[in-house]
Amino acid sequence: MKEPREPLPFWIACGVLRPELEALAAAGRLTGVRIYLDSMLHMSPPALEVQLGRVLQDHALPKDLATQILVYGDCCPGMQGLLEGHGARRVDAPNCAQMLLGRARFRELMRERAFLMLPEWTLRWETVFREELALGPENARLCMQGLITGLVYLDTGVMPVPHEELEACGRFLGLPYRVETVGLEELERALAAALAPEAGS
Amino acid sequence: MEPREAITILIECMLDADRDRASRLLGELLESGTPAQELLRQVLDPALNEVGRLWENRELSMAQAYVGARIAEDFLMRCLPSEAEGAVRPPKGVVVIGNIEDDFHALGRRMVGSFLRASGWEVVDLGNDVTAEVFVEEALARGAHIVGASAMMHDAAMNIRKLRELIDRRGLAGRLKLAVGGAVFNWRPALVEEVGGDGTAANATQVDALCDRLLSEVRTEVGP
Repeated sequence: MKEPREPLPFWIACGVLRPELEALAAAGRLTGVRIYLDSMLHMSPPALEVQLGRVLQDHALPKDLATQILVYGDCCPGMQGLLEGHGARRVDAPNCAQMLLGRARFRELMRERAFLMLPEWTLRWETVFREELALGPENARLCMQGLITGLVYLDTGVMPVPHEELEACGRFLGLPYRVETVGLEELERALAAALAPEAGS
Repeated sequence: MEPREAITILIECMLDADRDRASRLLGELLESGTPAQELLRQVLDPALNEVGRLWENRELSMAQAYVGARIAEDFLMRCLPSEAEGAVRPPKGVVVIGNIEDDFHALGRRMVGSFLRASGWEVVDLGNDVTAEVFVEEALARGAHIVGASAMMHDAAMNIRKLRELIDRRGLAGRLKLAVGGAVFNWRPALVEEVGGDGTAANATQVDALCDRLLSEVRTEVGP
């Protein structure tokens, strides 16, 4: 008689973490199927919710075959309902930056009023500010004034630090930038915790 | 300059983040002899209303509306009489605002602060990641009858329940009203009741009316 197989992890992740998840998979530190949604959906949480619902529905499999796990923060208003409705799980973090940093360091940086930049997002910063938020440099600077003290790039080590983009973004916003090395360990820990049987749905 | 033209220019300044032009406009209007208080009514209010309308119609991003509110606040501060001039209007009341514990999305809260100040409220802004205890202590220390707790997403919003519980446990429910706000309340209106809010506003332009209502409830319940 065959041993029952562990359900296959089925990761549904925000594209902002694609480079990191693929690096973990390439290193044999992450198993399972991976699907990514466009990180720009973060700009419209209700639209993200609709998309996530579709993907969960389209890729529904019997629970003994696959466990659907969202690699998302608390990114859309009906997140809990989605998880309950589809028997899925979610990584336990309110946002992707905290997945990389851990709760304590994330809070420290927030208290410093840092603006955190993930690698994938950094390459698209201009689209976010100019097209999604419709801000020119003057508006963006006025917007950031008093709210943010500087940009902090989270260097996960999966691609060269994009200094050119960071400098351009810093000029646009009138803010300095620095690089913080974060690695993949916190993310790996968060994924493993979501996979553990006690994580439930 | 006719008020209509001044309104159009001020709206342009608010949308372009052009503080210098807004400042020059105000200087010209004051030099022409229009009383500052009149400018608030004839120019600033209609311009703010228009920016609020554009935002509600999703013709502006929240970030653009916030920039507009900052320009409006500049305009307002220059129009208000200084204490030295001896004609300061008493504030309508004190409102303590902050992002609830674990929430770090400051933009909406800052905008609410700007609109409230522009509407004549004294605003105590506690910043991000504020615990229930700090909200209540500050409200009592500052004589506030309204606390405004903001959260952008669901998980952080649930921390507002701690504030509700603390207000009730200390027997303050009649004299300290809890306003809640943030994107998640617009997407899930039922959450207002779930976290124990006494009221909410769909956006910053409506917060003045909400605070008017909450303060009148306090006056009805405990007297002026």
